[in-house]
Amino acid sequence: MQQFFIVLCLVLMVLAGGAAVMFRSMLKSSISLAVASALLAAVLFLMGAYWASIFELSVCSGLITVVFVSAVSLTNTDRCSEVRVREHKARVAVLPAILIFAGAALLFILFNSDFNIVASATPASFSAFKEALWSLRQADILGQIIVILAGTFAVIVLFKERDNI
Amino acid sequence: MNIVSAIILTAALLMIIAGMFCLVRTYNLIRIIIAIELAMKAITLLLVFSGWVNGNLALAQTFVITMIVLEVIVAVVAAGIIVSLYRKNGNVDIRELTNLKG
Repeated sequence: MQQFFIVLCLVLMVLAGGAAVMFRSMLKSSISLAVASALLAAVLFLMGAYWASIFELSVCSGLITVVFVSAVSLTNTDRCSEVRVREHKARVAVLPAILIFAGAALLFILFNSDFNIVASATPASFSAFKEALWSLRQADILGQIIVILAGTFAVIVLFKERDNI
Repeated sequence: MNIVSAIILTAALLMIIAGMFCLVRTYNLIRIIIAIELAMKAITLLLVFSGWVNGNLALAQTFVITMIVLEVIVAVVAAGIIVSLYRKNGNVDIRELTNLKG
């Protein structure tokens, strides 16, 4: 039953991802990306990666969607001419065919291959996750803090008023 | 091969293909960032899948958390750049960003 839900969420996630690429409206694209992210969080939860699932759902599906919707509303990019609409339709028309062909080819290759990938993991315990995050990867935590500070500084510089420069 | 493993690999590769297709074919800066985010979601899935197969989900989750932090910073800084460009040029079409052209 768990495997059925994983497969169902994966199929819906690919559909939502394809829709995020194909929609002409940026708002619909952002919402489709959020749906794909939420479905990815469900897949991660079903695979036993609980903390990654929580981060994915709260940050990627929530915060990044807010950032995209804010950017779309500040730029008004949804308004465009008939020529742009025709250009967009011509650009994305071939994508469903590519995805169907590539998906069928990949499944055929994987089912007929000699690879023997079998899932063996049980859900990670909190102590194992804590040990991996705070002991094994201390340097990465420091790097993440520096990256967050750099991003904050970049946003401050980008939104600085011209008179204050 | 296990059917779930095959479908996970296929779904991740399809999302990477969709992201790369959008990255190549679009001229809108916001859509380019959406394409990058889509490909990053596929990489997140592959990272957790590798931990799932190896039996070390705890370590895989720490990599995913690092990646989510980088994903957010990329999205926020890119959105700031896009808004700044829109205020300066009036659009977000990469074909019309020719200010640095010599």
